[in-house]
Amino acid sequence: MSLKHPIGIDLEDLARQDALTRRAKSALSYFVLGLFVLISVGPILYVISPAFRESKSLFSYPPQWLPNSFYLGNFKFLLTETNYIRWGINTLIFATSVTLISLVIDTLAGYAFARMNFPGKKLLFGCILATLMVPIAALLAPTYLLVRNLDRWTFGLIGLDTFGGLIIPMTVSPLGVFMMRQFIETLPKGLYEAARIDGASEWRIFTKIVLPLMKPAVVVLGIFVFMQQWANFLWPLVITTKDETRVLTVGIATLQGQFVTNWGVIAAATLMTIAPIIMVFLFFQRWFVQASVAGALKQ
Amino acid sequence: MAEVIIRKLTKTFGDNTVVKSVSLKVEDGEFLVLLGPSGCGKSTILRLIAGLEDVTSGEILINGEIVNFVNPVDRNAAFVFQNYALYPHMTVRKNIAFPLETAKLPKEEVLKTVNEAGRILELEQLMDRLPSQLSGGQRQRVALARAIVRKPVVFLMDEPLSNLDAQLRQQTRIELMELHQRLGITTIYVTHDQIEAMTMGKRIVILKDGELQQIDTPTRTYEKPANTFVARFMGAPPMNLIKGEISLVSGQLEFKGDGFTSSLDYLKMGLTPELILSHKNETVSLGVRPEHIEISSDVLAGELSGVVKFLEPTGADLFVNVAIGEETAVVRCQPKAKIQIGTKVSLKFSSENVQLFGADSWNINTTC
Repeated sequence: MSLKHPIGIDLEDLARQDALTRRAKSALSYFVLGLFVLISVGPILYVISPAFRESKSLFSYPPQWLPNSFYLGNFKFLLTETNYIRWGINTLIFATSVTLISLVIDTLAGYAFARMNFPGKKLLFGCILATLMVPIAALLAPTYLLVRNLDRWTFGLIGLDTFGGLIIPMTVSPLGVFMMRQFIETLPKGLYEAARIDGASEWRIFTKIVLPLMKPAVVVLGIFVFMQQWANFLWPLVITTKDETRVLTVGIATLQGQFVTNWGVIAAATLMTIAPIIMVFLFFQRWFVQASVAGALKQ
Repeated sequence: MAEVIIRKLTKTFGDNTVVKSVSLKVEDGEFLVLLGPSGCGKSTILRLIAGLEDVTSGEILINGEIVNFVNPVDRNAAFVFQNYALYPHMTVRKNIAFPLETAKLPKEEVLKTVNEAGRILELEQLMDRLPSQLSGGQRQRVALARAIVRKPVVFLMDEPLSNLDAQLRQQTRIELMELHQRLGITTIYVTHDQIEAMTMGKRIVILKDGELQQIDTPTRTYEKPANTFVARFMGAPPMNLIKGEISLVSGQLEFKGDGFTSSLDYLKMGLTPELILSHKNETVSLGVRPEHIEISSDVLAGELSGVVKFLEPTGADLFVNVAIGEETAVVRCQPKAKIQIGTKVSLKFSSENVQLFGADSWNINTTC
């Protein structure tokens, strides 16, 4: 039996129309989301197939999307005929060191800007934020010259083709300082004051109260910096010329020949290079969620 | 235990002066309450004593020593925060032990002191819980335990009960008073709740806009308010204030209001003829508490009278709102009193229960 409204509107018809609108909206949102997934995941999927195919089959006609067989020759070539493992170790040293040093600097600086009072605090913080506006490319030449000249002052620790030269300039990040300061500002001021009354020094407040409470933010910043440095290309390209200090991104670029390029090997190298950071991200994914809701859940 | 003295304490934030030359003395072992509405500077005074804010001018002395530039921890004052300020990642035990571990005391001593504080505040069963697993009252007890383990000379409490529900607030209030009796530590307690102030404080300091209004015992602040602000702030419903003029007629104080005249015995009010004459030609306010007014349906000409506007039964009492010209007076009556809205009634009160406030709002009786 059809339900009739007192003024003659068919309620069932209204409900049907409502359900249709809902379905159409849902379909549209899935379509838009699907498009974004394709844009972001597409390139990754694109390198999977060539990585498991022989180079000569890459240019066959008609184009072949999926490999006929599971060819591992590209990986074997990469591991035996190139310095891929060395580059991998270098990248690990580079990304890990930059991450650890930046975390120490960013959390300490963030704490100072959020909780301590000193003359010129606002000006200094403004200056740090202003450096965000300077493009990295504009800093390359002066930083290169600085590192080259530092060589003789640091007894070769920081210089061209050294880990010091590769790592140190990347450890200072205004964004990291800003993120940490913002997070510390969201922590209740009362905790800090209670600790002060309890006799804690700034260092004890930082290590025993602030740092444990900002764990999610530290982990997120850590992953962010690690992923950024793992994929860093420009600075390592400028500062390194030898395989002893070369990192994966630059190493893979050297695989590209002037006349002949083995695209299968490059695809395999790309796949092997992005695999660890995808795993790192998946492993720490829950921390991202925790950090984003941390402010909402605090008492 | 300690004596706390504040001399001409002033605090400004930018152009805003939040504490204006406040001076007071807290006796050794006393429970002093700082009372006032939001933004009156009471919490700022507490924070200044604790060392959480820098003094703009004036002096703070704890046990005779000026502590203006002494670190918070060295003032040996424990602070109990409104929102408890428990470290959320530490267990109850760790929270209580934090100040002792910071002072690098031996582990055995820390354990002993923490257990003792836990026993005093009945927290033994909760020692391994995190603050998020505790109720409001339990959190408050942990905050108190963390404060007492340091064996402070002065307790500073910033509205510690304001986050609790009414029932728990009453219970915790009693617990706090018991704790104070047991430990005898000088306590400065901030609240905006006058019931809390009346029931807990040995003396009450009433503040308004950063200025001290009155320091006295709870009874005196209620019965002999220093000015109209205190008269209206203390008591619910507040003191009735009726405007008029005073003069001396045949050895009696005559209060002439809008359409009525009351003769009062100034001696019973603690006044002198000189005081009365000094306020002769100004508009003064006659203050009388709702429970000190007798209501009667026999109205004589020239008497203070009005029309019953509405009734507020609260169970224990019946509050009768009487319109006197443009003003309204509240009278406390027996809950079963037979009073009709719209009827004309006369209001009577005796001289000893009346306060007179000058045009400057301050009590004419300078001993208040």
